[in-house]
Order: sequence, then structure tokens, then C-alpha cells
Amino acid sequence: MKSRFKNDIMLVSIILVVALILFLFFKFSLKTGDMVVISINGETAFKLPLNTDTEKTVKSELGENVILIKGGIAQIISADCRDKICVHHEAISKSGETIVCLPHKLVVVINGEEET
Amino acid sequence: MKKAICLCLTFLLSLTFTGCREKYEKFTDYSFDYFDTATSIIGFEKDESVFKANCEKIKAKLGEYHKLYTIYSRYDGVNNLYSINTAHTPLEVDGKITEMLQFSKEMYDLTGGKVNVAMGSVLSIWHNYRTQGIDNPLEARLPDMDILREAAKHTDIKGLEIKGNTVSLTDPESRLDVGAIAKGYATEQIALWMEKEGITGYLLNVGGNIRTVGNRPDGKKWQIGLENPNGEESKKYSEYLELTDSAIVTSGSYQRFYTVQGKEYHHIIDPETLMPAKGYKMVSVINPSSAVADALSTALFCMDLNDGKKFVESLENTEVLWITEDGKKHYSKNFKDYIK
Repeated sequence: MKSRFKNDIMLVSIILVVALILFLFFKFSLKTGDMVVISINGETAFKLPLNTDTEKTVKSELGENVILIKGGIAQIISADCRDKICVHHEAISKSGETIVCLPHKLVVVINGEEET
Repeated sequence: MKKAICLCLTFLLSLTFTGCREKYEKFTDYSFDYFDTATSIIGFEKDESVFKANCEKIKAKLGEYHKLYTIYSRYDGVNNLYSINTAHTPLEVDGKITEMLQFSKEMYDLTGGKVNVAMGSVLSIWHNYRTQGIDNPLEARLPDMDILREAAKHTDIKGLEIKGNTVSLTDPESRLDVGAIAKGYATEQIALWMEKEGITGYLLNVGGNIRTVGNRPDGKKWQIGLENPNGEESKKYSEYLELTDSAIVTSGSYQRFYTVQGKEYHHIIDPETLMPAKGYKMVSVINPSSAVADALSTALFCMDLNDGKKFVESLENTEVLWITEDGKKHYSKNFKDYIK
């Protein structure tokens, strides 16, 4: 009887540990799974992970923007648009934050779990 | 006993996973086709196809308002603002135009003429100089004061006559420019339509005219980060706000401007000085109606801080954040209630 009770406790703790690991895994994977979504005229053009450093040149018939992802933040570092508002916009990193280049109809947005 | 515990735990464990399937998801759609600006629609739906269908309806409405309210182009078979500006005769127009113009007159009276849709003659001069200055920065110039003063003779709002669905400009030199009102008015009308149709859990952002429609289904409040106009010297957002069934509209000198001999000239023109209004980097107005918030943000941009504060205190349900040229923030009485 005593050993059966022990087994029950064992089982319960194993399940709890598995649940905890799964919970942490999901939480962790969501946090680092933020994506930088680049769209032109409302159509998604590229999806890049925010945690991987890259430089992406996005060309369309309207013009060219260079997006830099570095150290978990994304920004537009150069563009051939007329006002350069997108280049002057500060880097973004939190879910929901956007940079818009109006002349090129380009939007860079962070997609993730936490809302802004 | 063992079985019972096992079943219980399996059940509990399964609960943590099934949550996902019935959950509302957040979707976003962008468009660049309306009011010469970027529009974003954020919505919470369980099903992406429902969101997409709603967006199509919302965008169709935006397109309709854009065609009616634009002063820059003509559309076949539509009498719009461009038609009124070029008609020189009374013109029968859609009720959506007369209602918006009527509202504009109310805003003129409310703000003591600080928002004047009959100022098109002056604004079009600035518009031309600005566009040329942006395209050709080396030849950027300021309009001559004499030309501006001459144009300002034709900005009497009384010259805008509305009788039923017929609109006329009694002064042939007078022009309408609804830039300070139309976007916010259209956004508001669409939001009201959405509320009627039961499309809730949405946020519309038409070029900085933000209107929330209903609560988020996840119980959180809508969070809005106001961009910091002070640039890189401090943080990215000047304020995080939480809104429910409300609108916030920001007028800023930091986005639409051109540079003449190293000095920036923005697009909000003071009806008194006929020059870009001085004093602020931005003015953000919270009001239940995005139409009112839009008009007020322009009006307050053209008022000095003390007058503006007094004016806001006389209004209901209106809270304002001013950021003056020195980068300092000034709040209306209860603005801080909205800060997260």
C-alpha cells in the first residue's frame, strides 16, 4: 500500500514536471519567435526572424528600402524614397510596432505574442 | 485511485492545449489607397476569413469616402470635393459630403475659426510649394506673403452654402480643403457603421486617426504608443495609452514638412498668420469621436497653450497632450487617466 502511494506521487510529479517543461518551452519559443514581417501594398513580402541578424534589400516598382535586423531590433537603414521618414524612424523590437514608408507602400511590423 | 489521478491530470493537461483552437487571434491589414496615407486595420477574430471579409467591407467604405472627399482628383460619375472646387455653380452632391461640410461649419464655430475648410486657396499654395520643395530640395522656396494675403481674401466660410444636398461656393476664388477634417470624419462614420453591424474588437488607424471599435475579446485594453517627436534624444514613445471605444488623433509638425534653407516648414497653416503654426511638435486629442478629435487637433495646433488649455476645459470628454517645441509635455486635466 505504501509503495502504491509512492508510485502515485511519482506519477503526479512526473506529469507536473513534463507540464512545466512544456509550459516553459512554449513560453520561451513564443518569446524568441517574434518575426519581422515586411509587406508591400498590403501583401506580405518577407517574414524574417527577429533573433537572426540580417540585412534585407526590398525592391518593388515603387523603390528600394534596406532593412537591418541586428541584436533583436529592426530598422530601415536606407531608402530611395523622397521624404526618408522611414529611415529616420527609430528601430523597432516590440510586437505591434511598425515602420511605414508611405511613398513605397512598405510596412515593417514586429509580429509576436505580446501586444502593443 | 491511480487511474483517477491519471485521468484528472490528463484532463488538466489537455485543457492547457485546447485553449488555442477557440482563441481569438489578432490580424492586421494595411492599405495605401485612401486619403494619401497608410491605413491599418487591426481586428480580433477566431477565423482569418471573417477578418478578411470585414476588411474588404471597411476598405470599400474608405474608398467611397476617399472618392467623395478628395480635392485632388475627379472620378467619373461622382460629384466630389474636386467637383465643388471647380464647378462655379451650385452642385448636387452625396449626403456624405453635405453632412461632412455641415460638421466642418460646426467645428469652425466651435474653434473660433481655427479649423476652416474654406481655406483651400491658401492651403493649395502651400501644398504646391511643399511638393515642389520635396521633389527639388535645392530650389525649395517659401510662398510670397503678398500671394498668401491675396488668397486669404477668399477664405470666408460663409461663402460655403449648403441647401439640402446642394453645395455652392459663392466666391469663385474660394476653394475647399478638408484635410483637417475628412479623414477623421470618414473614420468615425465607418466606426459607427461597424458598431451597427456588430463588427467589434477592431482598431482603425487611418494615417494617425485612431479609433477603437469595441473591446478586445481577450479582455485587454487597446494600447496605443504615441510616437515621440523629440527624435533620438530619449525614448521611442512619448506615451503609452489605453483606450476603449474612443479615438485619438495626433497633429504633428514632424512628418509632413519641407525644408527651405535648412529650416523645416510643416503643413499645418495658422489661419491668422498664414504661416505654419508655431509652438508645438505635436498635439494629440482623445475624444469619443475621431471626427471631433481630428478637427480639434488641428485647431489646438494653431492656439497658444494657455488658450488651448482653457478651450479644452470647456469641452466634454476631451483630453489633450501637447508637446511644445522645446520638447516639454503638457497635459489636460484628466489626460493621465489614459496613460498605462
